[in-house]
Amino acid sequence: MNGLAFVAPLLLVMIGAFNAPILYMLALGFWSKAGGFTTAHYAAVFEASVYLKVLASTLRISLIATVANVLLGYPLAYWMSGLRPTGQLVAVALVITPFWISILVRTYAWIVVLGNAGLVNSSLLALGVITEPIRFLYNELGVTIGMANVLLPFLVLPLFAAMVRIDGRLLQAAASLGATPATIFWKVFFPLTVPALGAGALLVFILSLGFYITPAILGGNRVSMISNLLDKLINEIPRWEQASVISTLLLIVTLVIFALYRRLDRSAA
Amino acid sequence: MTGQETFGRRSVSVVGVAGMTFLLLPLLIVVPMSFSSARALAFPPPGFSLRWYAAFFGDPRWMDAMWISSSVALLSSWLALALGGLAAYGLRRTAFRGRSMIEANFLAPLIVPTIIVAVALYLGFARVGLLGTYVGLVLAHTMLSVPLVVMVLGVAVRDFDQRIEQVAWSLGASWLYTMRRVVLPHLAPSAFAAWIFAFIASFDEVIVTQFVAGTYDTVPKRMFNELILEINPTITAVATLLIGFTLVALGLVALLLRRSGRWPASAL
Amino acid sequence: MKRRDFGKLASIGLAGFVWSPAVGSAQVKEIRMIEAGGKSGESIEEGYIKPFTARTGIRCVRESPGSLGKLRAMVESGKITAALFELGSGSLSQAIPLGLVEPLDWAAINPQPMFPEARTDHGLGYQYFSTVMAWRKGVKAPRSWADFFNTRDFPGKRTVPEYPHYCLQFALLADGVSPDKLFPLDADRALRKLGEIKKDIAVLWKAGAQPPQLLKDNEVQYAISWSGRVVGEPAIEMTFNQGMYDLSYFSVPKGVSKDEKDAAMKLLHEMTIAKNQARAAQVVSYTGPSPDLEALLPREKFSEFPTVKQNKSVQWQQNAEWWRVNGESVNKKWEQFRLNL
Repeated sequence: MNGLAFVAPLLLVMIGAFNAPILYMLALGFWSKAGGFTTAHYAAVFEASVYLKVLASTLRISLIATVANVLLGYPLAYWMSGLRPTGQLVAVALVITPFWISILVRTYAWIVVLGNAGLVNSSLLALGVITEPIRFLYNELGVTIGMANVLLPFLVLPLFAAMVRIDGRLLQAAASLGATPATIFWKVFFPLTVPALGAGALLVFILSLGFYITPAILGGNRVSMISNLLDKLINEIPRWEQASVISTLLLIVTLVIFALYRRLDRSAA
Repeated sequence: MTGQETFGRRSVSVVGVAGMTFLLLPLLIVVPMSFSSARALAFPPPGFSLRWYAAFFGDPRWMDAMWISSSVALLSSWLALALGGLAAYGLRRTAFRGRSMIEANFLAPLIVPTIIVAVALYLGFARVGLLGTYVGLVLAHTMLSVPLVVMVLGVAVRDFDQRIEQVAWSLGASWLYTMRRVVLPHLAPSAFAAWIFAFIASFDEVIVTQFVAGTYDTVPKRMFNELILEINPTITAVATLLIGFTLVALGLVALLLRRSGRWPASAL
Repeated sequence: MKRRDFGKLASIGLAGFVWSPAVGSAQVKEIRMIEAGGKSGESIEEGYIKPFTARTGIRCVRESPGSLGKLRAMVESGKITAALFELGSGSLSQAIPLGLVEPLDWAAINPQPMFPEARTDHGLGYQYFSTVMAWRKGVKAPRSWADFFNTRDFPGKRTVPEYPHYCLQFALLADGVSPDKLFPLDADRALRKLGEIKKDIAVLWKAGAQPPQLLKDNEVQYAISWSGRVVGEPAIEMTFNQGMYDLSYFSVPKGVSKDEKDAAMKLLHEMTIAKNQARAAQVVSYTGPSPDLEALLPREKFSEFPTVKQNKSVQWQQNAEWWRVNGESVNKKWEQFRLNL
């Protein structure tokens, strides 16, 4: 039986309901109202410092969130890789569970935790550590914390998988040669995890760029990442051509970084 | 593992547990809050009450959203399963020109940032009059679920020894009979898993829905709007119900897969 | 087998679903309205939608919040999903030259007596509301907008609306402009003043329910808010002093179907009945357009209403005409300001 027959139904539906809209969106950025090809929209976007500012803050926030993820996620994965098999199974299940819980729920909880009248501030005030609530919400700090929380599994799982695959005999060999624990870790263990770490970090970075829910909820309508900007350009202002241009640029950046990720992922396997 | 034993296991444990707590903190907060008797966001909750569940089930707007969410999830997950299942079989069992490109196309909705999918579908649907329609919503959700189905069933088909099918054919069975009696029963657990994933993905989907659904309210869309407008503990009840439902569904999947002896760990 | 049978079922199911929303254009069972949400929306439900549904059997589903931008996006998309859209006077006057709204059918509305300013070609002014200063009980009370914009002597976070029509004027008042000289609005000056307290603007709110919530949660200490959402709130204090009163209108988006429009006109009729307005006023302290309403308002809560003499005298009115002419250019500057936050 010809394989194409199996694939055709999905392909047709997809071309209509996915490929075509994406292509249409790409085309819209080059379309002028008078009809015909124009680069005016692209020029307008590059000239307007506002959009570049949003791009810059998106990159900055994504970078910080990625770093936070690495700092939190590496130790977590390391700890998990040292557990007994049953413990590992439970830990993996726990890490996977949030994937399936709606991101709205996860983000919402942070309002309860980080608000001025929330968990963290109330405890710190009660303990006398601070005299005034710390402003976590409705600024970049809250958004970064929320994003770090949501993206953590994406880093931890591949990293854990890579760590578990490391041949224990290599470490034993190093120990028997007289290396200290610190040396074993930094000279043997860590380098072997770098490809997976790099791939995971890139993945987290890509995902951060396109984040919408968390900045929208924890940002107080103030923290503008690209996705929030796109929301305004489509649903509020609206300026569809500019939305198209910005989406196209974001898509290109994403695809480039994704290609990088694939390469790193393959060398990690 | 020597690395672990020699590197301050206790400090690693502390950091590990702290990291895990950070990860799970939202869940640990939201569930108790839904049983809180307090009106405002209070944690720890002062008393036990089911009033927020009552508020949820008693509000016709939440029930409307529930109906839309459920029906869209049902339709889109079945559609994704049918289309994606066929496609996965075709991708794995046969070779044809452009196969890897087509497979990449099928996985694209997962790779392209969801916000871009949302913008593209908004603009595209607006052009053809599908914006804010029920059909458009179902189509959008189907597109988003298809990559999951193709991946899960792709692994299942690949792991299913093709020689069994070939034996059936060589014994004289028609292709249709082979599919019905040999292939599909074997794939059923994975198909069920793929279907559940698609269902949950649709039920939880909020970004594309926000752009494309018009005045149709799904549960997550309603939650998102309520979060911005008025923080009301009813949302915690909805959230807990979603969590409970998801965990039960996943538990079912795990049970079924364990029972049939296939643990698609690589799919995860 | 499962898959083939399902295939049949699914196609029937899909066909049914495709078909059903399209049908139903002949007999309208339900219309949708986009309104400001929160208690204001509940007041519409209590005061006007309930008698409407009782009288005609047609449901009205509310959605919120709305804004000029949202209306623009809807009309531009070609998919008109709401028969009624709530707009402030400034937004409405802008929407008309932009071609976003249709003229109302006043013969079909058949209104009870109304204040003349509430009866316009494109909008029915159903609600007088005020935009005022509010603050958390316990923080230093501001006496004027100059105080509100003074973050040194009145420290704390602010929340202001994301709509320029309800924000810029206050910045100018804070900068020393007197109410009668507010219009023509110096938008650049207002944005400069807002820029001074940029760091202390914690949230730009979209919906009227946000400012009281943020004040109660202590996320902000000072807020610009709709009056009805903060009067009578135990933890919040407010003043009508230097506040701005305005009429909120219901308009009909351009391109709506005839049947839905007919149904909408009947709902608008309900909004002109004084008894309905009195019921709405019980839910949220705003006043309707009927001259007979004041007699029906409860004495004890008189001070909460924006248009009673004692409150009206310390406020000033929104200038819709100015926004009609200059709205577009101000919107552009406002966009820049918002994206630069």
